[in-house]
Amino acid sequence: MEQRVLDIVNVVLENRSKTKVNNLSPDDKLRETLGFDSLDLAELTVRIEDEFGVDIFEDGLINTVGEIYSKLG
Amino acid sequence: MNILVTGCSRGVGLEICRVLLEQGHTVYGIARNYTDGFKELAIRYKDSLFFKSVDLSVPAEIHRQVFKEYVTNRIVLDGVVNNAAMAYDDIVTNLKLEKLETMYAVNVFAPMMITKYAIRNMLLHRKKGCIVHISSVSVHTGYKGLAMYASSKGALEAFSKDTAREWGELGIRSNVVVPGFMETEMSASLTQEQKDRIFRRTSMKQATSVRSVAETTVFLLSEKACSITGQNIHIDNGTI
Ligand SMILES: NC(=O)c1ccc[n+]([C@@H]2O[C@H](COP(=O)([O-])OP(=O)(O)OC[C@H]3O[C@@H](n4cnc5c(N)ncnc54)[C@H](OP(=O)(O)O)[C@@H]3O)[C@@H](O)[C@H]2O)c1
Repeated sequence: MEQRVLDIVNVVLENRSKTKVNNLSPDDKLRETLGFDSLDLAELTVRIEDEFGVDIFEDGLINTVGEIYSKLG
Repeated sequence: MNILVTGCSRGVGLEICRVLLEQGHTVYGIARNYTDGFKELAIRYKDSLFFKSVDLSVPAEIHRQVFKEYVTNRIVLDGVVNNAAMAYDDIVTNLKLEKLETMYAVNVFAPMMITKYAIRNMLLHRKKGCIVHISSVSVHTGYKGLAMYASSKGALEAFSKDTAREWGELGIRSNVVVPGFMETEMSASLTQEQKDRIFRRTSMKQATSVRSVAETTVFLLSEKACSITGQNIHIDNGTI
């Protein structure tokens, strides 16, 4: 699952011409560490939902990669 | 193009389906009733016209009924036409909250929910898609009895403008078609005298052509309109 999240994060970064990452740590912040803006986060949500069937932003804001893992865990 | 059209069973929605199909596009229609008029199109275009019966007065069901069971993520959506609507007309002092809530569910909340999931589909497929909402001239010119109805369309116009601003950088467009009075079931309860009064307020002194409204909607969905977003296009025989 963590590998798939990394792949999806990189698809979004690449789509927005941002630098891809080699790995993710649970403490990484989506906005500050990865540089996601609100439209990037929307695309991330959509791609994760398509793959895992879970809307990660459904009940409140998500700030870190670890919070995504626990939603999908 | 793959286009979702609400209110496809008659009137303007049916005509929009017809124009899209004539141009070779694929249409996913939504309404409560499968009508004879729609059936005629479905026979002629059996591979490119689809139908699902959905009651849009229950917006909470839209995610499941429309986007999980019908226009799923496996379909690449190019555009949406939010056309389905109902008119609750009465003078303001007779306003009934329950009727107002139903009208807002169909005319405002349903198009907003559909826009939400349509944009999500476009994001997944990186599609520069297009949304068209159908409003009404009553937002811009006052008519006795239409305050509640016009307010719902005004909400839609504001929603469209800000959607255009929000998603423009990804190439997703949102526009509004603003028709004048047309001869459809929605205006069938008006007397000839009431209609004549309405038509006298237009430059061209007649009912707005349903075909012209449908053709303009399809133009806005097309590549030809790629630089048009955040606009209200009036098709109202010059109600000025
Ligand atoms: N007619 C006019 O003079 C006029 C003027 C300005 C603007 N407009 C606007 O133009 C658009 C089309 O109107 P029209 O004249 O074609 O009206 P219409 O003949 O009454 O058609 C309305 C369409 O919306 C569908 N609809 C209504 N309630 C629904 C619900 N709860 N769930 C799903 N579908 C629903 C109807 O299908 P079912 O009944 O089968 O569900 C029908 O296909 C509307 O947005 C209207 O506000 C009309």
